[in-house]
Amino acid sequence: MKGHERDTVNKESISLKSPIAMSLGLHLLIVVVALAGWSWTNPMQEPEPRSISARLISPEPKPSPVVDEQDQRDEADKREQAAEKQREKDEAERRKAQQEAERKAAEKAAQEKARKIEQERKQQEAKAREKAEQQARAKEAARKKAEAEAKERERQKAEQERKRQEEAKRKAEEEKKRQEEQRRAEEAERKRKEEEARKEAERKRKEAERRLREQQLNALAEEAEEARESEARRQREAAAARAREAQMLTDSEKYQALIRDRLAQAWYPPASATENMVARLQITLLPTGELQGVTLVSSSGNTAFDNSALSAVRSLNRYPVPGDRDTFERYFRQFTIEFNPKRLR
Amino acid sequence: MFKKQNSKRGLAKRNLTVIGWLMAMCFVASSARAELLIRITEGANSAIPVAVVPFAESGAMPAGDKVSSIVQADLTMSGEFKPLDPSKMLSLPSERSEVYFRDWRMLGQRYVLVGQLTSNSGRVEARYELFDVNREQRILGETAAAPAGNVRSLAHHISDRVYEAITGEPGAFSTKLAYVTLTGSGKNSVYRLHISDIDGQRSKVRLESGEPILSPAWSPDGKKLAYVSFETGKPVIYIHELATGKRTKAADFPGLNSAPAWSPDGKSLLMTLSKDGNAEVYEKNLASGKITKLTNHWAIDTEAAWDHAGKGVFFTSDRSGGPQIYYMERPGAEARRITFGSRYNARARPDSKGEYVYYVHQRERSFHIARRNLKTDEEFIVTRTGTDESPSVSPNGRMLIYATEQGGKGVLTVVSADGGAAYSLPASEGEVREPAWGPITR
Amino acid sequence: MMKVSAQNKAFAMLLSFGLVAGCSSTGDTMEEDGYGYDSGSDVAAIDQEGGSTVYGGEDGEGVSSSVLSDEERAEARAKAEQEALRNITTFYFDFDTSEIKQEARNALVTHARFLSSNPRQQVRLEGHADERGSKEYNLALGERRAKAVERFLVVNGASRGQIETVSYGEEKPVVRGSSESAYAQNRRVELIFK
Repeated sequence: MKGHERDTVNKESISLKSPIAMSLGLHLLIVVVALAGWSWTNPMQEPEPRSISARLISPEPKPSPVVDEQDQRDEADKREQAAEKQREKDEAERRKAQQEAERKAAEKAAQEKARKIEQERKQQEAKAREKAEQQARAKEAARKKAEAEAKERERQKAEQERKRQEEAKRKAEEEKKRQEEQRRAEEAERKRKEEEARKEAERKRKEAERRLREQQLNALAEEAEEARESEARRQREAAAARAREAQMLTDSEKYQALIRDRLAQAWYPPASATENMVARLQITLLPTGELQGVTLVSSSGNTAFDNSALSAVRSLNRYPVPGDRDTFERYFRQFTIEFNPKRLR
Repeated sequence: MFKKQNSKRGLAKRNLTVIGWLMAMCFVASSARAELLIRITEGANSAIPVAVVPFAESGAMPAGDKVSSIVQADLTMSGEFKPLDPSKMLSLPSERSEVYFRDWRMLGQRYVLVGQLTSNSGRVEARYELFDVNREQRILGETAAAPAGNVRSLAHHISDRVYEAITGEPGAFSTKLAYVTLTGSGKNSVYRLHISDIDGQRSKVRLESGEPILSPAWSPDGKKLAYVSFETGKPVIYIHELATGKRTKAADFPGLNSAPAWSPDGKSLLMTLSKDGNAEVYEKNLASGKITKLTNHWAIDTEAAWDHAGKGVFFTSDRSGGPQIYYMERPGAEARRITFGSRYNARARPDSKGEYVYYVHQRERSFHIARRNLKTDEEFIVTRTGTDESPSVSPNGRMLIYATEQGGKGVLTVVSADGGAAYSLPASEGEVREPAWGPITR
Repeated sequence: MMKVSAQNKAFAMLLSFGLVAGCSSTGDTMEEDGYGYDSGSDVAAIDQEGGSTVYGGEDGEGVSSSVLSDEERAEARAKAEQEALRNITTFYFDFDTSEIKQEARNALVTHARFLSSNPRQQVRLEGHADERGSKEYNLALGERRAKAVERFLVVNGASRGQIETVSYGEEKPVVRGSSESAYAQNRRVELIFK
């Protein structure tokens, strides 16, 4: 950090010398600041893993130690109780077996008494046998007892071994946990990065989607436009068809409009004109559009006005007329023009 | 952009559809008609092309401007004609036999004026003919004569005749102009009342004073001028007989004596007096000398003018807070405000037909001359300059002269009444103001 | 009426300017100049027309403050102030109005008192307008301004018989030109003492 700062200072002092140096310096400054900022911000994220490892290293395991000890003690108690029970149980069994043996012996003695004489000798023999048997049985019981005791010792040993193993396992688990945690942190970082990537991807996807939607909308609009166009085309065609039906007439209308425009441009309403003045002229044309004749059929009452109309009519070198002879003959061979100003300046 | 194009295309399509429908409707409408009728309701909105061919001359002609040049200038000034530059003419005919209509048609001319001048024992005679190029017809053929020193009058007369033959309106080129000039400043100020041709030529001083001269007004016969002169240290209305130079005081009361305006019959004079303490409009019967008060209001009432028929009176009043134009249907009748929409409308001048009234009109920081259609109430700004005042309408109602400023100096400008062409009168020495367009006198 | 020493004049002028700076409140561009004084060539004109009354003052009145006592100084100042106020003879108006501005009142009251204490003194009030608008309306406007000043003087002690009003409308501008400041200086009433 200190090094960065020094660098920055140096760069700054250099940067004052020229604009390029200044610019360079500024860029460097930005980079430096960015780097500094980065190394500033990273430690802020780190403490967690570090404190975790510190805890792990410390001799008394702190992560939930109380809970663990309690668990262990409980477990040991349980185990001891279980052993006690086993011992009691074994004792009871042994007592039971003894009682059984005694009961059996009593029974045998009763039978012996019943049979008495007949089995005197047998009795003696049986007594001996019985004694031997009794001895064997006692032997057996002692053996069993020793066996149980050995077993108990064995069990306790195993228990200790188990405990040791458990401790080792716990330690291993903790190690594993630590590793797990580290892994998780790494995982989180990875996930964060992944999330970022995902978000970026999402953004890109949405952007793409939006673009696509726009394209679709455009396409839709174009489609609609096309539909409209085709509708308009249809209508135009219909109109054209209608127009064709009245070919002569529309020709006439077209040429009427042309003549009207030409005359409006050629007419100078005189200063004395009023909106009430109307002059009607009948004009006769040649099929070439040339003026054959014009007569004033209805005067406006103002000579200057009439003259202006006559002059306008005569000023056109050639009238726009349809090429179609029938149309011409029907409408343009002879027609009337009315001059009646509506918007005087 | 994409959308715009679309909508444009859409519009075009709609139009086509509309046209289609119109066509269909026309079919229905016109199939019943036996003969075609084309109705023309609008004309060309431009000046009429006319060729004023330099007149042929025989005899010694007086020095100075040529008659045809004066005619050409007159027609140009009206704003209604666009004379052809003589250098573009293919021929210079001086009588009918020399006029080749095809040529003039080719040049796009509607009318051709040709003529001859002969000078004989101190008089100049003009023989002139005006032709309609399209109809190939002569619409005017006359002779006129004037003393050699008066060729300008002759030229203006010809302009009047040409104007009337084409437009059906009397020309106003032979009329006179009255105006006031100011030279010097402070103690050295000299005010002069001039009378000149309407092109500013041949000006003559009728009154000279060290004190202001204001509001010249022509009597309907063109023989007298009424005006306000401060020569006695206060405003006094004088009537000045032009032929004799004889002057009479028409009003010399304490306070204001101002804004004289003749009645159409020339028998009375409207004026503004403040003898009773406040500016009011009065009418003075010139024969009896009797004075009648026409307005009575605490506000300023001034600048009265008779309407074209001589029945009603326009005047300026600030009774609404600022100056506005009011109209009384007859003298003394209740006044009706006719101008709205601007805080300043003053000095109404009606035309001779009762169609329009012109007045000083403030728009934003500028003062223009506005024209109001008295039938439709439509208002139209006639002038394009800034500090405009003192409008005066030509007697045929086709032109307007007003005072404005050019380079910080007062000048007079003539415009066609529809605001078309503008023509500043040649600047004389000093400031020019207060134009008054004289009547047509025959 | 009286002769004026150059010193006196200068002092009056100074005071007048100070006064003007003090009371110009509307921020009109011309007021500094306008309320002060008719300066330059116009001074000569007023001297000629209005006579020496324009610059009235006691002969031999010293203005060197160091040799005067406080009372004398105060008296001198009061006198000079009166003189300064009396030197204000042009009063300005807003466009299309004839309302006397607040800052004009002191000077007009001084003029009214002067007229009232000099009953044989005559004054001519000349009303003017700027060049905008129509001439005849401006003539009436100039008159209305002159009459407004007349009324003010009469209310404050002057006699109607001492006052004559005339309007020149827009005919006699003090400043030529079509600027706001020129217009403002031309919308005025001038007091001309005879």
